[in-house]
Amino acid sequence: MNKRNDRLAEIGPFISQPDDDMIICRCEEVTKGEIRKAVHDGMFTLTEIRRYLRTGMGLCQGQTCSKLVKSIVAKELGLPPGDIEPAVSRAPMRPIEMKILGNDRKEV
Amino acid sequence: MNRYDLIIIGAGPAGLSAAISAAKNGLSVIVFDENSKPGGQLFKQIHKFFGSKEHKAKIRGFRIGEELLKEAEELKVTVVLDAIVTGLYQDKEISVKIGEEICHYKGDAVIVATGATENMVPFEGWTLPGVIGAGASQTMMNLHHIKPGNRVLMLGTGNVGLVVSFQLLQAGCQVAALVDAAPKIGGYGVHAAKVARCGVPFYLSHTIIKAEGEDCVRGVVIGKVDSSFQLIPGTEKHFDVDTICLAVGLSPMSQLLHMAGCKMQDTPLGYVPVIDENGATSVPGIYAAGDVSGIEEASSAMIEGRIAGTKAAEYLGFLSEDAAKEITAGLELALDRLRKGMFAPENRGKKITLTDEGIPVSDSLLTRGYLDEDELDRFPGIAKGKGIHPVMECTQNIPCNPCQDACPRKCIKIGENITSLPIIDEENSCSGCGMCVASCSGQAIFLLNEDYEPGYASVTLPYEFLPLPVKGDTGMALDRSGKKVCQAEIIEVKTPKAFDHTSLLTMKVPLDMAMKARFYKSRGCSHE
Amino acid sequence: MGNCADVIIIGSGIIGNSTAYYLAKKGCSVIVLEKSDHIGGGGSSRNGGGVRQSGRDKRELPLAMYGAANLWPQLSDELGMDVEYYQNGNLRLGKTEDHLKILNGLTERANAQGLGVTMINGNEAKDICPYLSDEVIGASWCPTDGHANPMLATLAYYRKARQLGVRFITGEAVTEIKKYKGKARQVITDSGVYEGETIILAAGYESRKIAASVGVDIPMTQALLEVLVTEAQPPMFYQMLGTAMADFYGHQSTHGSFVFGGSSGFEDFNKDNETPVTNSQTASCICRGIMKYFPCLSDAKIVRTWAGFIDVCADHVPVISHVEEVPGLILACAFTGHGFGISPTVGTILSQMATGEDPVLSIKDFRYDRFHTKI
Repeated sequence: MNKRNDRLAEIGPFISQPDDDMIICRCEEVTKGEIRKAVHDGMFTLTEIRRYLRTGMGLCQGQTCSKLVKSIVAKELGLPPGDIEPAVSRAPMRPIEMKILGNDRKEV
Repeated sequence: MNRYDLIIIGAGPAGLSAAISAAKNGLSVIVFDENSKPGGQLFKQIHKFFGSKEHKAKIRGFRIGEELLKEAEELKVTVVLDAIVTGLYQDKEISVKIGEEICHYKGDAVIVATGATENMVPFEGWTLPGVIGAGASQTMMNLHHIKPGNRVLMLGTGNVGLVVSFQLLQAGCQVAALVDAAPKIGGYGVHAAKVARCGVPFYLSHTIIKAEGEDCVRGVVIGKVDSSFQLIPGTEKHFDVDTICLAVGLSPMSQLLHMAGCKMQDTPLGYVPVIDENGATSVPGIYAAGDVSGIEEASSAMIEGRIAGTKAAEYLGFLSEDAAKEITAGLELALDRLRKGMFAPENRGKKITLTDEGIPVSDSLLTRGYLDEDELDRFPGIAKGKGIHPVMECTQNIPCNPCQDACPRKCIKIGENITSLPIIDEENSCSGCGMCVASCSGQAIFLLNEDYEPGYASVTLPYEFLPLPVKGDTGMALDRSGKKVCQAEIIEVKTPKAFDHTSLLTMKVPLDMAMKARFYKSRGCSHE
Repeated sequence: MGNCADVIIIGSGIIGNSTAYYLAKKGCSVIVLEKSDHIGGGGSSRNGGGVRQSGRDKRELPLAMYGAANLWPQLSDELGMDVEYYQNGNLRLGKTEDHLKILNGLTERANAQGLGVTMINGNEAKDICPYLSDEVIGASWCPTDGHANPMLATLAYYRKARQLGVRFITGEAVTEIKKYKGKARQVITDSGVYEGETIILAAGYESRKIAASVGVDIPMTQALLEVLVTEAQPPMFYQMLGTAMADFYGHQSTHGSFVFGGSSGFEDFNKDNETPVTNSQTASCICRGIMKYFPCLSDAKIVRTWAGFIDVCADHVPVISHVEEVPGLILACAFTGHGFGISPTVGTILSQMATGEDPVLSIKDFRYDRFHTKI
């Protein structure tokens, strides 16, 4: 945690790639190109990418795409994927209707 | 607050094993699982397990699940199904969605055994209906009895990709090809050989370029990649398929542990909690067991579960330190025995060229999925003999030894180290009972009798397809690559209960085909 | 790259980022130091997104009104990125006569300050937002209020400031501000020393510890509030919502999801385990609050909950102030959960303070030394 990260670090220009229109986050329909572009906009962490583009914020909460997003961001930053901290995990682990989440079982 | 000594999240192999160990020591245990059936992945595993007796080897996965569940019930473990644990909060409190309610429970200890989810890999068209996880297709087939598709391409040659490909064939699907970007097959060679002899081609160093189709998968294009995984232009190859299965690894479902504030780490086995050898996380009283703590097999998950359950009992004072140590020491030994050999976790990603015995590994097995005939002689299980005798095409150091125990005449030796290659003990003679053939989880043992009839040999092979041929049927014998090599006549079909649904077909083939013929295809059979 | 700049900003929340942007626009060199790994890691990304004027303390109201009139409407264009600002009004809902009394009081006070707020009955409220429960009998209505996406607004300021050359460094924990010849000059972090003509401390509750290094203290505490978000719903309404009893507050976002903040009533007594984690009961409590007013949302699925600390000031308005006894230091903290909506204004003012200009609005009510004992 809390690795010093200078956001003016040189990562080179954004160069478009033929598969930039490929969808990576299915729930929120975010493409590879959008993710790569976000890195060049200064979003260097998965948490920032998530807040910027909504990757992993849909129904599956990143179960499917988080690893893919991570590898794309790592590649763009020229880092090994292991250096990229995954976004935090938040309750509820599965989507739950408001009427159920609001219905705590009464203790007897 | 509903309070238990131990809360376990996940009723799979690790969770149920943990529950049993803890309940045996007197803890009150409750297990939650989000699925409507307990057992986790075990109930999808229709194949026989590897390992040795202590690892429940040669028992089919779903039977192991049934055994664990029965044992847990006998120990008065409460298993709550359709129960989604939505969060793991401070003070080891969990919120669980049960029916239309949110219920709160606290445990003095918590074991998280939530398993893993399937990885996906993006390519053009990967979001089309028809691109599914290999595990998902297994769920469709083995739990819901639905064919996932008619013609399938499998991406990934790890054990999941290999095992599921075989199950797809068993379910009556065609498997067009097995594809992997790696230059060699990742899973057990014996699993690959089962699929290869059904005629499924392997494309190593290949990747999917795109899935074709407007509304759903209608085809797939693959291409060859170079050593840095870059596509080589002009190598594209098209297959007509309606389903693409992805078996490209699993990721631990460690979100609850992450949320609970356990220290996490990124490892080749996934994003996992930092744990000690007993599964204890950085938060006192919270343990992790099974795939959630690093992707392995169900066999090791069960042992990890037992260790975590034992340690939880010790943590809460139900077991003395010494007593716990005695139990876990034995379990750790059992775990070590599983983690040996060329597929040991520490060998992941390494190129292994020699077996532990110093024998060069079969290159053909690693790239085409079957042993080349020229390579056979160097392996100790493949010996010539007079009369009926086993031929064990087991050429990699995998943790497995049921064949050794299965032989009533002690013809087969593996020894202490269960990853050693099996060898034939020449002093004892084979009775041809077939127990070794049926016991081999890798379906790699055959019985040969080169003296069957003048000019003819008999080959006995394990067979798990329907319809089952009957004595007198004639068809074609296939070689290890699935190529038809000669006419074959079924001379015996054995399906005793002791074989546990593995039938033994004995076919008569010309003598020169004895070391070639390894599968039987009746006329009009669909698995090709 | 040097560690010196005209202005060193401590804290990369929306206050720090907006200030950095307005300073960069003036041509100042700026370094922003952020302790967490993420830009906007604190309350800026963990709030309900309200851009409200109604319900504000009268001292704070001018900041909110200035922003709603002059800054928010152009912000997306100015920053080159949609911050999802909607100026569709704020409904504060009531179901009982007691509720209406509270709302009436708020309305009168707002009008006395020159803010257009009216009391409307249940039917009028339903004309504005047809999805309300029939139990709603009245509301206060401020048509010039609105909401924006706090995560995007925080990142939009960051992105634009970075484009203008502001140097942001995350994972850089400030331990100390050091005076040099009687003037605040150096900012000491775990890894080095930064120097600036002016130092702006905008680090939320963390500001307290850092200010202590130059012997300054602000009476504030931190409280943990929670937010939840639903899966995307069809477009329904774009008013900012609240209730007389503060059961919840929130809005529907551009994406379609509803974002609601709320509390359980135990916020002041939460255990501090250092990370802002959610409580097992709060989200359920917020859901019950929402459903009392919007029964139609009861089938909407909650996909995520999160928590964030707010820096609660003893008198519930922020400190935005030069510190005369520590020349060169400007405090911008203790926003008490009201910081997001006024952040463009505060950023503008702070940039003016740092460059020696007269602030566009008076800041005398936000002085750091305004706190006195009760007797």
